Amino acid sequence: MRHPAYQLRPNKAVDRLTLVDAIRRLSKLTDLSEYTYFGLGGPYLEDFRLLYEFHPEMRMVSIEEDPETYKRQRFHRPCGVPNLVLKRTDSRSFLAHYEAGNQKSIFWLDYTGLEYPHFEEFAMLLGKVASKSMVKITLRAEPKDYLRKGNEFREKFGALMPNRSYDPPRVAAGFAQLVQQMVRITSEDALPSAMPLMFIPVSSFYYSDGTGMFTLTGLVWPRSEEWALRNCFRDWEFANLHWARPRRIDVPMLSTKERLHLQHRLPRSNAGRSLRRALGYLIDEDVRSTEFKLGQYAQFHRHFPYFMKAIP
Amino acid sequence: MTAKDHLQYGPVDTSPVKSFFVHMLTRDIGLEESILDLLDNCVDGILRSDRTNGGGTPYSGFCAEIDFKGDSFMISDNCGGIPWRLHDYAFKMGRASGRAPDVPGGVGVYGIGMKRAVFKMGQHCLISTQNGRDRYEIEITPKWIGDENEWALPVRAARDERNEDGTTIVVGKLNPDIAKRFSGDAASFKSKLNDMVATHYAFIIDKGFRIRINGDPVKARPTRLVFSKVRSGTKGPRIQPYIFKTKTDGVEVFLAVGFTRPIPSQDEVISEQEEKKYSSLEAGWTVLCNDRAVLYCDRSEMTGWGEADVPRYHTQFIAISGVAEFRSDDASKLPTTTTKRGIDSSSRLYLQVKNRMREGMRIFTDYTNKWKTRADESRRQIEAAGAPLTFEEVKTEAKGLTFRSTKAQVLRGDQYRPKLPLPRPTQSQARRVSFVKDAKDVRAVAEYLFDDPEVDPSRVGEECFDLILKESRK
Repeated sequence: MRHPAYQLRPNKAVDRLTLVDAIRRLSKLTDLSEYTYFGLGGPYLEDFRLLYEFHPEMRMVSIEEDPETYKRQRFHRPCGVPNLVLKRTDSRSFLAHYEAGNQKSIFWLDYTGLEYPHFEEFAMLLGKVASKSMVKITLRAEPKDYLRKGNEFREKFGALMPNRSYDPPRVAAGFAQLVQQMVRITSEDALPSAMPLMFIPVSSFYYSDGTGMFTLTGLVWPRSEEWALRNCFRDWEFANLHWARPRRIDVPMLSTKERLHLQHRLPRSNAGRSLRRALGYLIDEDVRSTEFKLGQYAQFHRHFPYFMKAIP
Repeated sequence: MTAKDHLQYGPVDTSPVKSFFVHMLTRDIGLEESILDLLDNCVDGILRSDRTNGGGTPYSGFCAEIDFKGDSFMISDNCGGIPWRLHDYAFKMGRASGRAPDVPGGVGVYGIGMKRAVFKMGQHCLISTQNGRDRYEIEITPKWIGDENEWALPVRAARDERNEDGTTIVVGKLNPDIAKRFSGDAASFKSKLNDMVATHYAFIIDKGFRIRINGDPVKARPTRLVFSKVRSGTKGPRIQPYIFKTKTDGVEVFLAVGFTRPIPSQDEVISEQEEKKYSSLEAGWTVLCNDRAVLYCDRSEMTGWGEADVPRYHTQFIAISGVAEFRSDDASKLPTTTTKRGIDSSSRLYLQVKNRMREGMRIFTDYTNKWKTRADESRRQIEAAGAPLTFEEVKTEAKGLTFRSTKAQVLRGDQYRPKLPLPRPTQSQARRVSFVKDAKDVRAVAEYLFDDPEVDPSRVGEECFDLILKESRK
């Protein structure tokens, strides 16, 4: 099984660290030791490694279908049993048999494609997890996939589209917004307002490390305590509590020397412009895009990992 | 028992109670359907106003705006308003028997739609309407709803003059469940309402009516059928719909069934069975009554699937779609239920027409079964027939066809049976080869053969077979 070069996916790495940030916020409201993390961590179990680093008290379960990837996971596991259990099964079968009871969960449905069954699994999960569980879903959001294929998109996703009369947008931001609306409709259908639990988003992003992706994190929360959750996340820099447009992650490739040069100037307002001046040269096509990229760096610099060459 | 004992019994009071209309009748209809009832009133208003335009877009220039939020619902139109002479019909709970339809070609029969929609949603309502010189407002309050003895509604002259004749209905003091759907489930509700309007009103929107929901225009999604145009001097089989038309007891019927897209390959059918890939399909029957769709893409016995010699609906028949249209000046003759979103399955007329629907469907299920092993070839035939036509375009195109009378049948009329292409006899010697292999291995072979691991598995299998066949013939 082939896997993308994870070290060449800086935007995904940023997204992963924002999840850790969201979980840290959640710890203000509940005890994280009551939670189990479930993820589709791929061969390197990167998200599991991070969680073990930041929240070692949390139990973790990895779901992997491919036998060879499963073996690689065993090789890369960041910690032993019982902290991390590796399950060899597909996500659909796992969810079908999953019984939460009162056990709170953090689920990351980290899909690489965009298929109708992914939304069905998301809906199934929202109906199964215990109150105060966190669910993150990542989906492919690549407008090129459906260029001049509006009918195919409608046949696949019509029941979830806000208005199926229209073709899917041709630009990344619009396409990601459409996928977010489809996630919202799925969540409202899974947990309608007549039910005591609701799904509240806390953050949403879109990015591309070669392929457009959309990701949204939210919580299954009691309607009667909605205000407490919103209050807790309200001042988080990445908060998206009312289904606003997803935020773009597009961090620039900077050398370690450049990053160290810029980092002590942050945080600051109008960062794109001042960081460009601090560098004294362009890192992208023109002033505008350079300032945008440096603005992205300023926004995500705390969540931007260092990728370094190492000699084993 | 003496005669005196009998005198103790007085007459029984059978007058209705208001709570029956407010709490019981509203349970028979969904929220979305009750909003469609309000749209029906808009269209009836256009027909009544006699301001319809000619040609293919009789409703152009007319529009309805629907706005909902957590504390209110509003629908506003420019469709002519309610003349004061009709107030007795428009606001009375139900229609008196023997009363003639006030709108030829409308769909209102029972005189309940608007009131039921209002009571479904809330406890307070203000209806403002303007029709020429008639300009008045009627207010329904929670006090009036709660008073079983008060049946009269006060009417006052409207304060403001509207630019165009029309009606605005504002519902407030929403019932708690409705308020939640308009706020907590707003995205889901809007999507579903949009979808229902786009499908049930497809033919009316196509004829020029504009509808907006919370500011967003609704685009029609009409059923389209593949119709190979008749060229003079050309004969032979071609992809066209089956068509039947008749007029009986004041009802005009026109139905067409055919292909809306190419038939699916066996791989498409199998993968759909294993995992539901499509959330929405355009297959099945749409039934229209005076332009409103009362059934949309139905694939049940209600429209003949799985009855008599027609097979049950299956993904194999994903490409088959049909429209049956009923049209009458007297809405009570149309085969629809009180909610106007379903078929009265006991209607004699509908049962007779359903025979024709099945007859037409059978032609296309047969074709599908004959060509299913050669879906690629069939795809080329269907695609060569050109872009599918809307129902109105099919009706126009049908004027150039030669119909045959069906006098011997119970329901007399005229029908057109298309002559669809048949596989050549040699093609019937074809055998399907199918097998299952590990996904990883299929990707590996696809990469070896095509330098692309994502190539469709059926192409990979076919290429393997062709290679070995070539080898065996050396």
